[in-house]
Amino acid sequence: MRLTLRRRAATAHDLPVPIVLLVYAILLAGALIMILPFLWMASTACKPPVELNKVPVTFLPENPVCGENLGLLYDTSPHFNRYLLNSAIVTIGRTLGQLVTCSLAAYGFARFKFPGRGLIFALCLALLMVPFQAILIPEFMLIRKLGWLNTFRALIVPGTFSAFALFLLRQAFLQIPVEIEEAAIIDGANPLRVLWYVTLPLSAPALAAFAVITVQAAWNDFLYPLVVSNSPDTRVVTIGIALLQGERRTPYNLLMMGSFLATVPMLVLFTALQRYFIAGIAMGGVKR
Amino acid sequence: MNPESRLPALAARALSWLGPTPLSRRKALWGLALIAPNTLGLFFFFGIPVLMAFSTSVQEWNAIKPPHFVGLDNFERLISDDKFAQALTNTLKLIGLTVPLEVLLALGVAVLLNLPLRGRNLLRTAYFLPVVTSTVAASVVWTSILQPRYGIVSRLLEPVGLGETKWLVEPGLVLIPIAAVAIWQRLGFDMIIFLAGLQSIPGVLYEAAVIDGAGRWERFRHVTLPMLSPTTFLVMVLAIINAFQIFDQVYIMTLRTVPGGVGGSATTLTYYLYRRAFTHSEFGYASAIALVLFALILAVTAFQLTVQRYWVYYESEEG
Amino acid sequence: MNTRKVALLLVVLLSLVLALPAQAQDEPVIKPLPCEEPGKLTMWVWDEAWAAIIGDSIEAWKAEYCPGAEVDLQVQPWGQYWDLLKTNAAGGELPDVFNMSQPFFFFYADNDVVLDLQPYWDEFGVDTSIWGSGLVGPYRWGEAGDLYAAPVNWDTIAIFYNKDLFDAASLAYPAADWTWDDFAEYAAALTDPEAGVWGAAVYAEYQAGYPNWIAATGETPVVDAARTDCTLDNPGSLEALNFLKGLLDAGYMPTVSEAGGASPDDAFNLFASGKLAMVAGGSWKLPTALAELTFNWDIVQLPKNPETGRSRSIVHAVGYVASARTANPDLAANLILYLASDEGQVFFAEGGAVAPANPSPAIQQMWIDSFGQTDVNIQAFVDATVDSQGVTVFDEIWDVMNTELVVKIFDLGMSVEDAVAETCVVINAELP
Repeated sequence: MRLTLRRRAATAHDLPVPIVLLVYAILLAGALIMILPFLWMASTACKPPVELNKVPVTFLPENPVCGENLGLLYDTSPHFNRYLLNSAIVTIGRTLGQLVTCSLAAYGFARFKFPGRGLIFALCLALLMVPFQAILIPEFMLIRKLGWLNTFRALIVPGTFSAFALFLLRQAFLQIPVEIEEAAIIDGANPLRVLWYVTLPLSAPALAAFAVITVQAAWNDFLYPLVVSNSPDTRVVTIGIALLQGERRTPYNLLMMGSFLATVPMLVLFTALQRYFIAGIAMGGVKR
Repeated sequence: MNPESRLPALAARALSWLGPTPLSRRKALWGLALIAPNTLGLFFFFGIPVLMAFSTSVQEWNAIKPPHFVGLDNFERLISDDKFAQALTNTLKLIGLTVPLEVLLALGVAVLLNLPLRGRNLLRTAYFLPVVTSTVAASVVWTSILQPRYGIVSRLLEPVGLGETKWLVEPGLVLIPIAAVAIWQRLGFDMIIFLAGLQSIPGVLYEAAVIDGAGRWERFRHVTLPMLSPTTFLVMVLAIINAFQIFDQVYIMTLRTVPGGVGGSATTLTYYLYRRAFTHSEFGYASAIALVLFALILAVTAFQLTVQRYWVYYESEEG
Repeated sequence: MNTRKVALLLVVLLSLVLALPAQAQDEPVIKPLPCEEPGKLTMWVWDEAWAAIIGDSIEAWKAEYCPGAEVDLQVQPWGQYWDLLKTNAAGGELPDVFNMSQPFFFFYADNDVVLDLQPYWDEFGVDTSIWGSGLVGPYRWGEAGDLYAAPVNWDTIAIFYNKDLFDAASLAYPAADWTWDDFAEYAAALTDPEAGVWGAAVYAEYQAGYPNWIAATGETPVVDAARTDCTLDNPGSLEALNFLKGLLDAGYMPTVSEAGGASPDDAFNLFASGKLAMVAGGSWKLPTALAELTFNWDIVQLPKNPETGRSRSIVHAVGYVASARTANPDLAANLILYLASDEGQVFFAEGGAVAPANPSPAIQQMWIDSFGQTDVNIQAFVDATVDSQGVTVFDEIWDVMNTELVVKIFDLGMSVEDAVAETCVVINAELP
């Protein structure tokens, strides 16, 4: 059984033109500030070594050598594709894992009363309040005790649990009227079916937000993978990029080429998930 | 047919602790089962290290020699430590500088980017970029832009006489660029959450408001904002928790001048505890700082959780 | 005596005398030995380029001296190397052999984390004084001055100068025995505010910056060798810092903000952009300089202090150390011996970027030759190893004297006396 909620967008058609232009001006100015470092990143990825350390920074290479830098990147870091693959494995594993555990838990906290609910939720949230630098060594020792050093398990399993995702999804579930779910319950659905067929589809925007943020966090994770799994087989791309830097060498062109390659999947994903952030989506009909 | 009547007395008492009625007990069991995987996982993989770290706060440990118990010495030292006080003040200043602006700007951008404007997807991607841009790139660009006299910001500010300002070096000023970069980096993240929240506001409410003759601004005030309040609450809580722990921006923005700022002027609590741990090998003291930081964040979050009933509107009653 | 016997004796003596120097030239300074029992080792380095060179070295070691041995060579990012080392030490996962840097050595030695290699040097017949006190002094520990590391490389500092700018100002190039006064004159003459060119930038950071000038006055920079006192408020330090500050105040040197950062790399970027006539640079800058500089340039040793007549460079050597808890101490020591030996160091010498620590003149010449045909005076770096200043500072005081002092004096306009007083307060608090 699937339910729908039709939504209508607030229309901009009734906005006066000067206001629309003002809005555009503000948004574009802001957008420029947002993308400036990315522009530098993209242009530096194509710069020859001579142009790298100009003072002040330049945003357009005089002599673009994108192809050469790409080749140079793979010469310097022959396993770069392997690192991208490892990052993908870890990211997908973590995101799917969190999707399962955190949506179950969020649903439990949102819809079910049980003793200690407030306390347990608060304790979960409390884990967000300790900076990673403080638990770096105990975390390392725990993974080591489990015998998980330099494995994919260490990279994926702890990352399948999240207090942030729990919070995000719980807030989203609480915004859905209970009556809709109760209709399903009366029809005899157990909580899992309700979650799957009713609640999750209605939380699509929140799930999209969850997906974007979780994927991004997993993909850009650096310190934790470095500490527990920096063997070449399990190395992720953030570390691969950091290794391009030596004590005395900062080859910005290679660093930025690597970073650019690592950023592209994130942008692709974000663009793909944009459709869930569009008001006015009419979602299917009632099906049995 | 009452299932409880067949169970031994102790089990019956345990079950009754779950709830007064069989239905409530079943719901309670379901609830516990649903939260179990995530909760147990969190407690095991993160709760245990957190407890280990906190237990180190009453010890002296340099990571190599065995730790030894020193009672509350670390906390006594915290009280009279000028650098800790400075890190605390810097952190509080950063929270003040970042959280309100960040939340308001993200909300504004999300609302504007929720309008059916052309090129909206491209703009949204632009605002999301800082979240995924390499921190090295951000560091290089922002440091260069802020360079006195030659950087873009300095040249823009020259007419008002601020062209020679040394943003990253002057102790009184260094928190401003750090706050700006922190906002810059997190805006996209908050925006995404706000966008998701905006989608979940049922269109019928807007339609009803229009029928009632509400204008754009009134619709925003009386439909959007209240219905968005759970999301706003989420964003604010997360923003404050995050701002208390600002580290990356301090690290990347002061790396090329004086790490942590001249005289510790850019040092935050997390940065301070990191330095005490890994530079000075004082892991016990660092854990004490972490514990105090945790207590602070907990207190502020608990406060937010308690007052949420006065302004946050949940569509469904909890539970 | 029988004349024939005398002649024979003379011939024998003569041939012995003639043979000796030849033999001394062929004799390697450090000889590797076969390992007793092959096994497994883990090894950490912080640079991928070095890892490639060391990897080749290890392959040669395995082939020649230790077949059947296995070495898991891992590269950790430089920025996190020391944090990772502490984390792994805490968790009991230290690598068997790893790279060490002099400012960090004290902590590991003090906590018995690193293996005392002196018994092995004695057993291998290596006289540890062959490397020079600048390279190995900071790696000694204990009352007998046991050597805990084998140096991999050495770095010294010299002045890179832009010959085109000198020509344009009709100035003669600096001579090897030039003095601080000459330097000041050149800096003044080469500064061209209209063109946005400064004469020099030489104060940035510990290794390439002001401590070199302090050392030239005879003072041990920042901290004395016995680690009892902050020497920044001593006369020699004040003299050097005030000299440099004078040049800055006169406008001959850019401030930290004008240079774009407190690192000598930022100053070097200005130099590469043609905005600086003279810059202090480390020997590690040679490959970059040779590849990227678009004007005529050369290298000269640091100028001599007029009173002491000395020009001294900070010298630093990365070292190979072994973990005190390694399961294979003998194997680790054998590998380290190989990596430090002439045979092992050839790979570094030929690679060029890194100046090898092995004192054999042949190896040093190999390094100079590896740069190919250049007119550049690379020898200046080698000359700087004589009368050089070893590292006496350590991690806990690093930032306050590496960049903070520099920023205070050369950017925030603090007086030398005030800045030094503040810095010494912090340093003295950290001294044991």
